[in-house]
Amino acid sequence: MANLEGGIIIMPLTFAPQGTINKIKQIKGKDDTRRFLGELGFTIGGDVTVVAEMGGNMIVNVKDARIAISKSMANRIMV
Amino acid sequence: MSIKIALAGNPNCGKTTMFNDLTGSSQYVGNWPGVTVEKKEGKLRDHKDVRIVDLPGIYSLSPYTLEEVVSRDFLLGERPDAIINIVDATNIERNLYLTTQLAEAGIPMVIALNMMDIVKKSGDRIDAQKLAAAFGCPVVETSALKGVGSMEVANRAIMLAQKGAHTPPQHNFSRVVEDALEAIGDQISQQVKPELMRWYTIKLFERDEKVGDYFTLSSDIKQRIDDIIADCEKQLDDDSESIITNERYEYIRQLIQNCVHKKRPGMTLSDKIDRVVTNRWLALPIFAAVMWLVYYVSVTSLGTIVTDWTNDVLFGGYITEWATAGLAAVGAAPWLEGLIVDGIIGGVGAVLGFVPQMFILFFFLSILEDCGYMARVAFIMDRIFRKFGLSGKSFIPMLISSGCGVPGIMATRTIENEKDRKMTIMVTTFIPCGAKLPIIALIAGALFPEASWVAPSMYFLGIAMVILSGIILKKTRLFAGDPAPFVMELPQYHFPAPKGVFIHMWERGKAFIIKAGTVIFVACGVIWFLSSFGFANGNFGMVEESQSLLAAVGSFIAPIFAPLGFGTWQAAVATVTGLVAKENVVSTFGVLFGLGEATEEDPMLLQSVAGMFTMVSAYSFMVFNMLCAPCFAAIGAIKREMGGWKWTGITLAYQTGLAYVMAFIINQLGSVIFLGKGFGMGAVLGCVCIIAILWLMFRSYNPNRNIPVKTVQQVN
Repeated sequence: MANLEGGIIIMPLTFAPQGTINKIKQIKGKDDTRRFLGELGFTIGGDVTVVAEMGGNMIVNVKDARIAISKSMANRIMV
Repeated sequence: MSIKIALAGNPNCGKTTMFNDLTGSSQYVGNWPGVTVEKKEGKLRDHKDVRIVDLPGIYSLSPYTLEEVVSRDFLLGERPDAIINIVDATNIERNLYLTTQLAEAGIPMVIALNMMDIVKKSGDRIDAQKLAAAFGCPVVETSALKGVGSMEVANRAIMLAQKGAHTPPQHNFSRVVEDALEAIGDQISQQVKPELMRWYTIKLFERDEKVGDYFTLSSDIKQRIDDIIADCEKQLDDDSESIITNERYEYIRQLIQNCVHKKRPGMTLSDKIDRVVTNRWLALPIFAAVMWLVYYVSVTSLGTIVTDWTNDVLFGGYITEWATAGLAAVGAAPWLEGLIVDGIIGGVGAVLGFVPQMFILFFFLSILEDCGYMARVAFIMDRIFRKFGLSGKSFIPMLISSGCGVPGIMATRTIENEKDRKMTIMVTTFIPCGAKLPIIALIAGALFPEASWVAPSMYFLGIAMVILSGIILKKTRLFAGDPAPFVMELPQYHFPAPKGVFIHMWERGKAFIIKAGTVIFVACGVIWFLSSFGFANGNFGMVEESQSLLAAVGSFIAPIFAPLGFGTWQAAVATVTGLVAKENVVSTFGVLFGLGEATEEDPMLLQSVAGMFTMVSAYSFMVFNMLCAPCFAAIGAIKREMGGWKWTGITLAYQTGLAYVMAFIINQLGSVIFLGKGFGMGAVLGCVCIIAILWLMFRSYNPNRNIPVKTVQQVN
C-alpha cells in the first residue's frame, strides 16, 4: 500500500498504528471535505495521533481535540 | 441605550453554559457538539437593556452548514454591538481558528478563555496578556461551569460596545497572500466600509459563494479579482480556500509558541478511557451493559418501588381518601365526585405515579451524557448504523428522543445530508421516550413482574426497528445513496457536575409534570365524561361504563386492533388517546379501571390491566404503542422539520404501518408459541409478513438504475 512520492513514504491514516504521532502529508477528496477537515485542524504538516480504532473508524487527536472520523474520511488523510 | 452582545465559539466550548450563567436562564446544555442549533436570546442579569444572543457552535464562518449560516447572517446582517468569543482553552489552537475569523467581522470583541480551571489543573500555562496583545482585544480567563469570570467578560463587552471601538484584525498572513489581499482590497475599496475591508477581501479571495449577496461587482472587477486569486494559487500551488486555512493555522501556531506553555503528557485520561470504551471488541458489550443497567434500575428495581408507592399509597390511598372524604363533607354531587376522584385523580395520578421513575431514568441518562460517554456512543454506533444506511450522527437525535421526541426531531438539524436527516426523523421516535415509559412500566409491572428483560427489551426493540427501517428505506428510491461520512468532535470526559445533572433531570422531568397538569388533566376529564355518560333506554345520562359513549366509540375502533390481540374497547381507546400524549395510554386505564378504588394491599390498576391482556397481547400492545405515530406535539415537530405534509404523511404512515405489522407478528406467532394456540390463518399471515420484511431487507436494489448518486470517493 505504501507508495513512494518524492522519496517520502505516505499511507492513509487508517494504516497508522495506534498511539503514534503522524505528520499529515496530504488530504485528498472533494473541496468541501478538505475544507471541513482543515477547519477541524487537519492541516498539512500538522500532527495527528490515533487514539482508538474500530473497524476502520477512528478517534484521532489533532491539535488537542479528539475527533471521531469514519473510515472513508480517514482514508483521505495521508500521513 | 440598548446593547446586543453575541456569544460565538466552537461547538461544545461552553457557550450555552455561559449564556445560562449570564442570563439566569436554563437552556439545554449537552456535553456534545451541536446542541444549540438555533440562536437564542436572553437579557443579561441586572442589565435590562443588554441582550445576549447565544449563537450555534461553529468551526468557521464559511457558509456551508446551517449553523454557520445562522451565525454568519447574524454577525453581518444584524451587527451586534460586541462579540464574546468563547475559546475552549484546553483546545486553544483549534479554537483560535474561529477567533481569527471573528476578528475580521469588524465588531468589538472580547475573548473568554473558558475552561481555564482544567488547563491550570493539568499544569499548562496560557499567557492571557500576550494573547490579548496579539489580538488587540481584552482576554478574560473564565470557567463558565463554575460561574467564574462570566460577568467580567460581559462587563468588558459592554464597555467596548459603549465605546463603539472596532477590534481591528491584527493577524497577518505570509507576504504573497497579503499582497493578493491588498490587490483585491484596491478593487472594492469604493463599496466596502473600512472595518469590513478585511472580511470581504478574504471572502472574495476564498471565492465564497455567498459574498455576492452583500454587494455586486462589475464583471470587469470580477475578472481582475479572479486573475489575482489564480496568480496567488499558482505561486503557492494550492486552492485559495486551503491557502487561507493554512495561513490562519500557521499564524496561530506561531502565536501559541509564544503564549502557551504545555507540559507534554503522553496520553490524557480521556484518551485512556477511550481506549477501553471504544475498544473494537468491548465497545458494544459495554454499551449494552450500561443501557441494561440504567433501565434495570430505573424501571425494574428501584423504579418499581417508588412507582408502587406513589400509585398505590399516595394517589390510590391518601389522596383519594382525602378527596372522597372532603367532597362528601361539602356534599358534592355524585357526578362531581366521580369526575374528580375517578377522572382527574385516577387519570392524572396514573401518570404522576410514573414521574419518580422517569426522574430516575433521566438522572442516569444525564450522567451518561454529561460525562461525555454518550458522544462516544455516536461513534461506536456509526460502525453499525453505517451498515444500515444511517450515520452515527443519527444516534444523537435518537438519544435525545429517549427523553422526548420533539427535541429529538429538532436535533436532526445537525445532520448535513438531507436524506440522512429525513430518514432519521422517520425513525427517531421508535426509541421509547419518557412519556412511553409509563406504558412500559405499567405493562411490565402488570404482566411481567418477574421478567427484568421486558423494559430494556423495548429500548433494544427501538434500536432494532431503527436498523430494520434503515435497511428497508435505503432500498427505496426515496433514500438511496450512501450516508455522509462521519466526522464529529468528541468532548473531553469529565466528572459529571451534580448541578448540571440535576438541572437536566429536572428540565426533562418538568415537562411531564406540566403536561400532566394541562393536556392530560383535560384529556382525563373528557375521557371520564365519555366513559360515564351515554344513551340508555333512550335517555342521555350517567350509565354503566359498558354502555358509555366511550365504549361505543372504542368498540367501533376495536376490531382494527383485534388481529393484534388487544381488540377490547378499553385498549383501543387508550391507544387512540395516546396520540394526544403518550401518557394518556396509562391515564386512560387509570380513569377506566378506577385507580381511585385501589388500596395499598390491592393494586387495582395493575390487576385490572393484567386481567385484560395475555402476556403475548400485552407485549403486542406495548410494541404497537411504542412504534406507532407519535403524539401530536411530535407530529407537529415532524411537519416543521420535514417542511410539509407530504413527508409528514409518509412518516406517519410508515410508522403506524410498521407498528401494526410488528404487533401482528408478535401476537399471532406469540400465541402459537407461548399460549399453545393452533397454527391457523393468522399465524400463516404472520409468517408471510416476516418473509415480506426479510425480502424488503435483503432484496438487491440498484439505485443507480433510477437516479444518479454521488458516491463517496474512496482513496486506497
